[in-house]
Amino acid sequence: MIEYAHGFRMNEEACDGCLACMRACPTCAIRVKHDKASVQADLCIDCGSCLKACTRGAIIATTQKLEEFAHFAFKVAIPSPVLFGQFPLEVPPEIITRGLLAAGFDAVWDYGVDLELGARAIADYAERWRGARPLVNMTCPVIVRLIQVSYPRMTEQLLQMEPPREIAGRELKRHYSRELGLPSEQIAAIYVSPCQARTISIVQPAEGGKSSLDGTVGIPQVYNAVLAEARRVGESGGQSPEATVARSRPMLRWATPRALPYVLRHYRYISVTGLPNVTRVFDDVERGKLKDIDFIECYACWAGCGNGNLTVDNVYVCQAKLQTLMAGLPASDPVTDAEVARRYPHVDFLLEHPFAPRVRANAGDLRERVRRVKEAETVLHSLPGYDCGLCGAPTCVTLAHDVAAGEAAPTDCVLLSRQRLQELRRIHPRSA
Amino acid sequence: MPDELLSRSFAIRGRDFERAGEASTEIKSLLKELEIDPAVIRRTVVIAFEAEMNIVMYADEGTVTFVLTDEDIGVEVADRGPGIPDLDLALQEGWSTATDEMREMGFGFGMGLPNIRRNSDQFSVKSQVGEGTVVSSRISLDGAP
Repeated sequence: MIEYAHGFRMNEEACDGCLACMRACPTCAIRVKHDKASVQADLCIDCGSCLKACTRGAIIATTQKLEEFAHFAFKVAIPSPVLFGQFPLEVPPEIITRGLLAAGFDAVWDYGVDLELGARAIADYAERWRGARPLVNMTCPVIVRLIQVSYPRMTEQLLQMEPPREIAGRELKRHYSRELGLPSEQIAAIYVSPCQARTISIVQPAEGGKSSLDGTVGIPQVYNAVLAEARRVGESGGQSPEATVARSRPMLRWATPRALPYVLRHYRYISVTGLPNVTRVFDDVERGKLKDIDFIECYACWAGCGNGNLTVDNVYVCQAKLQTLMAGLPASDPVTDAEVARRYPHVDFLLEHPFAPRVRANAGDLRERVRRVKEAETVLHSLPGYDCGLCGAPTCVTLAHDVAAGEAAPTDCVLLSRQRLQELRRIHPRSA
Repeated sequence: MPDELLSRSFAIRGRDFERAGEASTEIKSLLKELEIDPAVIRRTVVIAFEAEMNIVMYADEGTVTFVLTDEDIGVEVADRGPGIPDLDLALQEGWSTATDEMREMGFGFGMGLPNIRRNSDQFSVKSQVGEGTVVSSRISLDGAP
């Protein structure tokens, strides 16, 4: 059985069993037993909803620091397009790239090329696709995991492709290893990320296999270094250096939840953001209601990656700045176009191992699963159906399933057991 | 015969377009809960849905019965209705007796029975004009059709 790594850890001491995280979890992965929350790892999709819901600081994001990559001889930053919308407009992309160098990176990768390659490859994939529609983008790691866990029938509708950041990792290692004469293991490809989930997609890719990236650092970790660099350049009155990334509009479009319409012009396309909205749309897909849609671009964070849990600026302000930046940039630029034309024939975007539904731990064989479904049905009849959560499971249905799996008792329900009620009163004296 | 592990029966009323599709939706969530292979779920649900729609569109009433065994899934659909006078014709893709009203709702393109047959590993249909129709399908759990 695979052990799933996740981007969060729970601090038992700080947890007071308030149920907020359990109620926020979109895949019902959290239970609160004996006053403490715990996660069922095989159901967690790393969306970060629990982290936002916890007011006690009991759920902590595990992040990587740049210092952790000190053992690499050469560290290359792959800047998420979202980064360019995080600073005041007076801080242009070229200063941001210099800020990354000041923060401790040895080079900043020209990621716009990989994103443009990705856009092209996605358009080609959609063109050739003869299977079920709509297709779903694979760029948001949470969406990929949501489908694997909650919509297993839709896994084949996910684009079975490496995201552009993986392509960038591969190419930059090749490039710098040739240029510097270093073995590629000594070159670190580090994604400057707007969210936790990207870290997990590198530590444990959803499809299995191994990431070409070495890790991530969150935007907050480089933020101050970039601002300091901007101040230094401003004070010295020097000329802005030449832009090496974000030279044209397409790259920055990837920071918005509508990155792809420009390559999918004749497709019936929708863009959906925010997990509750995405699940509503996926439910409709499963009911066969969206047969007229060819492509769904979706992101777990509301309003897209600009709202990731490792961003600094307000998502709407970030979007407005990106729009202003894009308006000042050309629709394409010759350097990017030449690189894309040179690399496209040689890039293999297809996943080596396709995405597959996630196998649940301890699900048992078919007979055991049937037994559990039958028992859960019986148990559910005896439960009140209020979904109050006081039993420590988010809904009566989940409690019924836990009972059938031998992980809970019907008497965990406060309406079925006076004892449980008294126990809760002891834990939360204010409700007594 | 392998042991029956689980079965469900759904009563379907003819012309009840409001509730049409509910039985197949329920079968789908049951199969999902049982963690049946997604490809098998897809085929079973297509069969159940098409059969359910056939009852809603043409018959007075009927039942959809779903049976799970260790080896396969059975879907049997029996209705009381007009019956099918020419089964060979009804099994041809695109042949339909649907009214314009049904077509406006997106049904009746003559794919119902052919679709059921295509998605089944075993398929049989018996019909008596003026009495009704019984469509039986089996989908094996472990393989492609």
